[in-house]
Amino acid sequence: MISKKIILTGSFGVGKTSLFNKFIYNKFDDKYLTTIGVKVNKKSIEIEGEEVSLLLWDIAGEVSQDKIPNSYFLGSSGIIYIFDLTRPSTYKNISSDIEYLNGMANDAIVKVVGNKCDLLTPEKIEEVKAILTTPWDIITSAKTGENVEDLFLSLGKAFLE
Amino acid sequence: MEQLQEILLTGDRTKIQEVRDILDSYDLLSERVSPIVQDHLQTFRQNYPEEFRSIVKGMMEDRLQKTEADLAGLNALIQTKDQLAEKVSPIVEDHIELLKQNYPKEFKVAVNKLIERKLKDSQEEILNVITPVLGKLIRKSITHQFQMLKERIDSQVKSTFSKQGLFGKIFGYKSKGTEEILSDADETIIEEVYVIQRDSGLLLGSAAMEKTMDQDVIAGMFTAIKAFVEDAFQREKQELEMIEYGNYKIYIQNFYSYYIAVAMSGSISATEKDEISTKLHDFAELELKHIPKDIDDSINTRISDRLKDYFFQTEQALKSA
Repeated sequence: MISKKIILTGSFGVGKTSLFNKFIYNKFDDKYLTTIGVKVNKKSIEIEGEEVSLLLWDIAGEVSQDKIPNSYFLGSSGIIYIFDLTRPSTYKNISSDIEYLNGMANDAIVKVVGNKCDLLTPEKIEEVKAILTTPWDIITSAKTGENVEDLFLSLGKAFLE
Repeated sequence: MEQLQEILLTGDRTKIQEVRDILDSYDLLSERVSPIVQDHLQTFRQNYPEEFRSIVKGMMEDRLQKTEADLAGLNALIQTKDQLAEKVSPIVEDHIELLKQNYPKEFKVAVNKLIERKLKDSQEEILNVITPVLGKLIRKSITHQFQMLKERIDSQVKSTFSKQGLFGKIFGYKSKGTEEILSDADETIIEEVYVIQRDSGLLLGSAAMEKTMDQDVIAGMFTAIKAFVEDAFQREKQELEMIEYGNYKIYIQNFYSYYIAVAMSGSISATEKDEISTKLHDFAELELKHIPKDIDDSINTRISDRLKDYFFQTEQALKSA
């Protein structure tokens, strides 16, 4: 079994903790409780017969990524950048944020995730896709669980490649 | 030529005729000699390769014989160690001397570059080896100085409160230092030990007296707290060393690529803190010299087993005895 550190980051209220809880506990709560500081938990997944232990750091949301303590990113193998598909303010700085994250953790795999896809129609989702300056890797819904498992499995696979 | 000029100037016909005859005889001679010379040249040209070959062959045979003789001589020289040493030693010594004189100029830069590169390549490993040793030395020195200071203060306090001293003398009571009294009342117990990768917060190994919650998560949270505090209060080269909650304390000993967190119950005196620190440095020196960046189960098991042996087996054995 190998162990990897993954950071969940993005603006406040985009659903980082909801994705974290859905993946770890398979639970979803509509109530919004802001994360203070950082919350750490882990989950092991199996990929092609190999067990990968994912240590997830759910970081308190910040409007700008450069406000997050640099040391949080140290030693991370994966960064999940989450934005809210329904709130343009959470993806208006997507390009500069991704550039910043790539600079912070050179060796880390960065995944761009559009969350709350359950709240939009397919047409609306296409509209968002058209205006994004950096394309998403996957769209998810912490509420319905759509693509949540796939997101972490794809990261796990990437670690083994 | 001067004589010829004189004859011509005198205008003596007889002599002029003599000169003319001589010149005519030269022409005649030339006419007669030239064909002979031409014939010889032709003959030489025809026979030249053969003659040349024989000359070269002779020269080569001579040279070969000489070389063979030289080789035989050299062979004899090599076979005899002493003779060879006698011949070679001065040359080698000269070269060594030359090397000594020119070393800084010729090799220093190259050797320094090589050492620098080697050090850079294995920087992490070297630091992991050096840090526990350096830390122990510094700690030892500081502890010694503090101990001396403490003893001086104790002695000063005792002499100031002489009544207490008299009381002790009369009733045979020996007064204890404040620290000693506190330590006796509330013994320090190591509850859990964690070795954690410094940047990622991934658990390298852990041991505990009793099973607690997921130790990977604890290691991650320790690292998050540590990172937050160190980032929030950006003091130059300062690191979080202690977390306290109620009767529990988490003592953190920082190393280069990892840190060790020790959860303890009870009160802890400065001396006990130093003892634990020394113990951690000893453990790091013994067991944590080579830590790979990618963590897998085997590393975790090895370190956890060693932590258990080092921090818990001995104490339990002492207690049961």
